[in-house]
Order: sequence, then structure tokens, then C-alpha cells
Amino acid sequence: MSIHPGTAAKRKAPENQAAASAAKVRRRSPTRVNPALYLFPLPAVAVVAFFLVMPTLQAFQYAITDWNGFSAAFNYVGLDNFVRAFTKDSLFTNALTNNLKFVLLVVIAQTIFSLILALLLTKNSRGSILLRALFFFPTILSSVSVAFIWKFIYDPNFGLANSVLRTVGVDGGAYLGNDAQALYWVAITQVWFHSGQMMVVYIAGLQAIPRELYEAAEMDGANKWQQFKSITWPFVAPATSIVVAYTTVQSFKAFDLILGIAGNPPKAALDILSTRIYSTFANSEFGYAAAQSIIFMAMIALVTWLQRRLLRLTPKGD
Amino acid sequence: MAILGALGFGATAAACAGPGGSTSPAGASGPAAPSTGAVTGKVSFAHWRGEDKAVFDELIKRFAAKHDGVEVAQDISTSNDYNAQALQKLRGGSIGDAFATFRGAQFKNFSEAGIYTDLKDSKAVGNYQKGLLSAGQSGNNQLGLPYQVVFPMPMANVDLFDKAGAEIAPKNWDAFLAMCEKLASAGVIPISWPGGDVGNGGQLFNCMIANNAPVDDMCAQIEQGKLKCTDDWFIRMLNQYKDLKPFVQPNATGTAVEPAQNLFSQGKAAMLATGSYHIAAVRGLGAKFPIDLVFPNTTSDGKGKYEGAYNATFILGVNSASKNQAAAAAWIDFLSEPENAGYYANQTAQHVSVDMVEYTNPDLKRLSPWLQKKTALAARFQFNNLDVRNAVEASATAVISGTSPEQAAAAAQKIVDERL
Repeated sequence: MSIHPGTAAKRKAPENQAAASAAKVRRRSPTRVNPALYLFPLPAVAVVAFFLVMPTLQAFQYAITDWNGFSAAFNYVGLDNFVRAFTKDSLFTNALTNNLKFVLLVVIAQTIFSLILALLLTKNSRGSILLRALFFFPTILSSVSVAFIWKFIYDPNFGLANSVLRTVGVDGGAYLGNDAQALYWVAITQVWFHSGQMMVVYIAGLQAIPRELYEAAEMDGANKWQQFKSITWPFVAPATSIVVAYTTVQSFKAFDLILGIAGNPPKAALDILSTRIYSTFANSEFGYAAAQSIIFMAMIALVTWLQRRLLRLTPKGD
Repeated sequence: MAILGALGFGATAAACAGPGGSTSPAGASGPAAPSTGAVTGKVSFAHWRGEDKAVFDELIKRFAAKHDGVEVAQDISTSNDYNAQALQKLRGGSIGDAFATFRGAQFKNFSEAGIYTDLKDSKAVGNYQKGLLSAGQSGNNQLGLPYQVVFPMPMANVDLFDKAGAEIAPKNWDAFLAMCEKLASAGVIPISWPGGDVGNGGQLFNCMIANNAPVDDMCAQIEQGKLKCTDDWFIRMLNQYKDLKPFVQPNATGTAVEPAQNLFSQGKAAMLATGSYHIAAVRGLGAKFPIDLVFPNTTSDGKGKYEGAYNATFILGVNSASKNQAAAAAWIDFLSEPENAGYYANQTAQHVSVDMVEYTNPDLKRLSPWLQKKTALAARFQFNNLDVRNAVEASATAVISGTSPEQAAAAAQKIVDERL
């Protein structure tokens, strides 16, 4: 804590020494910290270092090896694992494509659906409170339960979906067994699972809008769409940023839902990055799986950053 | 938050164990036999068969009655978790003094990791049928003892076959298809196939490939690039899968294993294309009819090399890192005695590879003649790379869902080529 000579000279200059001393005390006191206080964050720093920093650094280390996860023998292979993922592994690129498609589908559908739900259920009537609870209910279920419930719904022989359709003479098909459609059916499940949670975020945003604005708009003759465009949307825009960011991360990491609904390993049509990484670990390719994990991490970071850049949704006037 | 989440998932998953700290390969000497000594203390028995827990509990009681001061605790995981995590759990030796492995990739990984001790000179090994021990061998060492004998062949509802006048032992592929035709004409689904379940749906592959492939180690050769999925024999097999399409239940590629079992146990389907390991489950669902096995003989002239398929699995071993090897080895010896193996077999409806076992379970009795037939050791477990195995088996599923055999084969070969 050295003091700049110029500053020290200035501090000695005042004529009234007592006043100067008092000023000195006032100025220095905020920065005068007992060195022992620096010890207090140490446990937290140690925990973060042990559980986050160290594993991350280790993951980077493994990612440049061909370690199989248990053998004492391994080699450093540089960036080979990263190159392999993008140039020689169609299962990885397939999972990446599936994951991006899944994220896009879920983000669009979940954002729109949860906003519509929130708009319909904003009023604090008894009916809407009950409906809110109903739509929120899936959120409190475990993802494994959700996966098994929907696996049963989609079963082509005994499932609810086909049973209902058969009563009107329609065959709903194989659902998850149809490679071209499987991802869409899981996306529907994901939207059902999490829309209630996002609806709550939107409702919080909607309830913060002053009623007077709508009353004034109505007096000016604005129709519902104009009210939405000019009042509602600017106010809920920041909530949309949160919903989109959260849904993106959630959809990237839909590991338990996919594994529960599609089985382990999931077939190629339902393989996403997290399930692919899991399969690679299970296949005793630890080095390669670590490299895939790092790509996965970078992918989420990149998409989240891009969203923040592109979706700067703030209320008007901010 | 996103970055932290990804870090948490990726990094901690990758870092749950570290490389051994050396870049030199392990020594060339084989594993040592389990150490001897007093049979006391606690033994952890790691396996994945939760459905056998009560049976093992009874055997543990009988074992403890024989040896004062010994205690066996079962450490049971689900089969998927066991496949993915068992090796890491067992390395330290605190879990799994005695343990089981799947045949194939898992056994190979465990062997390479040096988890097994050599049971070549153990008391147990003499109790097994010699021909069934190969799945637990590595070089000159008998690392594990394959305990169960299962038949990964379609199970048949004999009553439905009788009603339809269908032949239960078709001699060639045309006869097999004619049998399916008769069953379909009788108003039942000929084959219930869990095409939506990668593991169980893949068992039919063992039958379909057995007499089609030019060599017995066909899957190992596919993985090594010596044989290809685009070879004529493989395409012929996929065309036979295509022949099966009218005879499996509608939307079979989306059917999980439980609904497939239900179709069979409710008498709506005449065959369940998984294997004898599902007998107990099917009985649990209320099936009362007599059950036999049917081999889809894919030959055109009936002169195939094999009459069926079997698998020797649940490979028992003693952990080289265990602190209580003497008691763990005694537990394996105990399980391998014909009387105890017989108890296990009859209670779980699983054949065992232990010799001189008396089968009293009616299903096992009925299926026992299959133990004497010329059956092929299940080929799908020759794959050591699970991505390759899944891709090759997925070609059959793709054909059932409507892809041409040539396209399906080319897609599978692409994955194989990438991993060569």
C-alpha cells in the first residue's frame, strides 16, 4: 500500500494540521484493511479452485491426450481430438446439428408459448391462478419422471397419443421411432416441461406494467395489438432476454430428458452433444470426450454471447 | 451462468479421475491369483442385476453360515450405469471385491485395466463346462467366470404356434417366413420386436448374422475393417431384415422393451425377439403359456453352421485391488458350486455355465436341450467400440423403418471407417 509521493506532499500541505490529520484519517480509513481479513475468502476460493478451476484445467489437459480413462499409458496428441470432432466424426457433427436444431426449435416455441400463457393468465382471478399452477406443475417434476411419462404417451402400441388418435381412425405412427420426426416430439416434451417456469418470468414482467398506461392507450383508441406493441412488449422485452438465454442453456443440456425418453445410448436421430459426450466417456475415450466437453462449453458460451449481442432487449427509455 | 453450467458439466465429467501418471505401458507379466487366507471380513459384490438381489441375499446367508465372520454386501447399479462407471468405482478396491462384467467391451476394458486376478488355478474353475469359459479368458489367464448362459433368440408362445399350425423349428429362411405368414393369418403379430430399445432390439442381430457371415469373428473383423457392412453377405442379411418387416408389430422402430414384452405376454404376439433372459420378466407380466425358442435360420438350404445363438455373460471376477481377496475368491467359489449355481439358475430362470446343475424351473427344463445344440456365441459382443456396434445394429433398424439395405449399410460403414 505505497503512497504516491505527490499525493503525500499534498496531504502535508494544509495549514491546519489537526484538520489535515482528520482528513487523512477520513481518506485512508476505507482502504486500511486488516491483512487478516484477506484470509476469510480463502475457504470459498479453495472450494471454487478445487471443484471448478482444477477440474476445468484437468479437462483441458485430458483433451490433448489419448487417455482411455483407466490405463496408466497415454500420449499427448495436441489438438488431434478437436480436429477429429469436426472432420472425422460424423456422430459428433450429427449430435451438434441435432443440438442446434433442438435449441432453435425449443427457444422459439417455448418463448412464444410461455408469453402467450402469461398474457392469458396475468389477471389474478381464481381461475387463472389455478391454471397458472397447472401449467407450472410440470416444472416441479423430475426430468426422469417427465421422460418416462412422455415415453409412455409416445409408445405406438399402448401409448396415449395413438390410443386417442385410433378412436378417430388415425394412426399416429412410430413417434420416437421415426427418425425424421423424433427430435420434434422430444422438443414438444421439453416445451411442455419448462414453459410454466418461463411463464412465471413473463407474468412478473407483465405485472410490473402500470395499468394507467393501458387506460390512457384505450382512451386514445389503441387496439389490443397496438397496446401490445407499444406498451406490453417494451416492458417484457428484458424478460425475453432472460427467457431466451435460460431456455438456450437448458436445451443444450437436455441430457437427462433425452436419455430418459430415448434410452441409452439414444439413436443417432436423438443424439445431442451432452449424450454424445456421455457415450464417448462410456466408450473409454476420455481424452476425446474431454475435448468434446470443451467444444460443448465453448458452444454454449458463444451462443449465449451472440444472443446477448443480438437480443439487447431493454425497456424503452433505458 | 451458461459458461459455469457448461464448465460444471464438461470439466467435472472429464476430471472425475486422472491419468495414471505414467506414459509407459504396464508390465507384461500376467495378473496374479487372488491372495489366500482366512475367509472373514466384509466382501463387496458389485453387479447390475437388481432383479436377482433376493436370490443373492439367500445365497449370501448360506455362504455366511459356512464361514464365521464373513459378510457379503451387494453393490448394485443399473446396467447402463454399471457399463459406464463400474471400472472407475472398482479401481480403488473398496467397492467390488468380487464383481461381474458384461462380455465384450467391458470385459476387455477391465482386463486391460488389470482389475482381474487370475482364477485359472481356483477351485471354482473346475466346476464350469469347459466350452463356456472362453468368454472369460485373456491369453493364458482365466480372468473371469462367465456365470450365465442366455439364448438371445426369439422366445415363442408355443400355444399360439400350435393353434396356427406353425412350425416352431423352421429349417431355412423360406420356412421361417412361411411360419410367420401362418401366424399372421391366425390373427396374431408374428414377432414383437423392441426396435426402439437399442440394447434389446439388437439381440436379434446375433441370430441374423450367425449363418450369414463368412467367419465366426465377423463383428471383430468389421470393426477392424477386414469385413465391411457393404459386403454382399451383410446386404443379404439386411434384405432378410426387410423380409421381416411385414411380420413385426406396426411402428416397431418406436417400441420400447416393456410394451414389446406386454404384446408377447398378453398373447397378442407369437414371438418376442429378445432372448431367454426375459423369461422371468414375461412370467412376471402374467404369461402362463409354454415358452420355447425359435432360431431364424437365415440359410436357403437349411445347411447352416449354427442352430441357434447363445451368450455366456455375467462374468464373475475377483478384484486385484481388493483388500479381502481371500473372502472374495471364496464367494466366487461358493457361487460356482453346482448346488448354489442351481439355486441361482432356478430362482432367476437363467441357465448357468456351471456343470452338473439340476434345472427344476419348468422353463429352464424345457429350454435345456438348447444347451446341447450347436449354437453360435453371440456375435454383437465382439464389438469393442460401442459406437461401431450401435451403428452396425442401427442399419437393421433403419431397414425395418424403410431405408434401403444398401443405404443403411453404407451409413453404418461410414461410422466404422471413421473409427478405423
